[in-house]
Amino acid sequence: MECKFVPSVCSYCGVGCGVLFKVVDGKLTGTLPLKTHPVNEGRLCVKGWNLHDFVNSYLRLKSPLIRAFGRFIKTDWEEAIKITSDRFKDIIRQHGPDSVGVLVSAKMSNEENYLAQKFARAAIGTNNVDHCARL
Amino acid sequence: MKSQVKQWLESGTIDIFLGMKMVDGHPLPHAFTLRNISDLEDLVPGTVRYPLEKFAAELAAENPDARIGLAARECTQRALNVLSLWNQAPTDRIETIKINCCPSPLKEHAVCSYLDPPEAGLFKKHFGIDNGADPEAVARFEPRERFSRWMYEFQKCIKCYGCRNICPVCFCEDCSLEHEDLIGTGQLPPEAPIFHLVRAVHMAGRCIDCGLCEEACPADIPLRLLYRKVNAVVDDLFDYRAGEGEQPPPFNIIGEKPTLAPKPMENGSACPKR
Repeated sequence: MECKFVPSVCSYCGVGCGVLFKVVDGKLTGTLPLKTHPVNEGRLCVKGWNLHDFVNSYLRLKSPLIRAFGRFIKTDWEEAIKITSDRFKDIIRQHGPDSVGVLVSAKMSNEENYLAQKFARAAIGTNNVDHCARL
Repeated sequence: MKSQVKQWLESGTIDIFLGMKMVDGHPLPHAFTLRNISDLEDLVPGTVRYPLEKFAAELAAENPDARIGLAARECTQRALNVLSLWNQAPTDRIETIKINCCPSPLKEHAVCSYLDPPEAGLFKKHFGIDNGADPEAVARFEPRERFSRWMYEFQKCIKCYGCRNICPVCFCEDCSLEHEDLIGTGQLPPEAPIFHLVRAVHMAGRCIDCGLCEEACPADIPLRLLYRKVNAVVDDLFDYRAGEGEQPPPFNIIGEKPTLAPKPMENGSACPKR
């Protein structure tokens, strides 16, 4: 019998509430609000309260899938990224770089958001960068 | 407290001790065992409360041989009493170390709306219900005004289920608040006041007035006050106060015809053992 309480930050929205995960015998079994966290002060929304559910969900994708012939086929990351970049190149060649947009998120770190806009402007060549909160 | 827990763990009186540990300035619940016995250095009473008794009951149900120690405030002890009467916690396998919550705002105690009543804002004072108010004072409002004040509080609900999730004495496998025939599930805002009153009715004779629900409520609904009111009704009708004594709760016995007359109390619980 092993029981651990692991403090963390909610992975849903940009508010970043403090949560406390209950881990029993290596399995995530519950989520609680972190009482002393300055952001949420011991409160959570319904999504935060159920964080442990999606981690253990049988519907969770554990490897990349490629849609081919109307079906999803399991693959590895290398192939998935290769196919994605080939398709992007095709689209940019046919329709121009402004046919692509990049959506960033408040849930990402500053550095990740910087990389995403750099990728949009330097690698793809578009200014179509927007934020998920404006969707 | 540290030496007592150390002695219990080393002598095998308990296998695991649930208490609070200071981690980077945050008091967090922690499971102390023989393997991490050096963690006892950071064992603290803690100024915030988590439902440790709920964790203990869950651990005890999953590990039928485990003996569990618990840092217990007065509310924790009342909750353990209720859980035991409802067959949800084996008190013979749970040892407690008592922590006092001194009923004085001047001395350090846990965060508790009873000891430190929150100050209500002007709008809430005019149109809602002050969380720190006395149930008697709320009862003095005219019925129409009282209803509109309670409705103001209930319509703020974002249906996070936090009050139920944090509640140490909420243990039902099938919760009425998620029952399609009783509550409109999957819709926001929740049906007020039925959502809140269903929970209030279920708290009658069970709520131990710890106030964790109110602390967890993002909408600042005076839940503690509401459940104190339903418990006062149970006290008047059945002379029963949840969390005290060894008497099974009055709603534990299912009669043939539901009436408000006091029922004979028998030992043993009608609730299946977990």
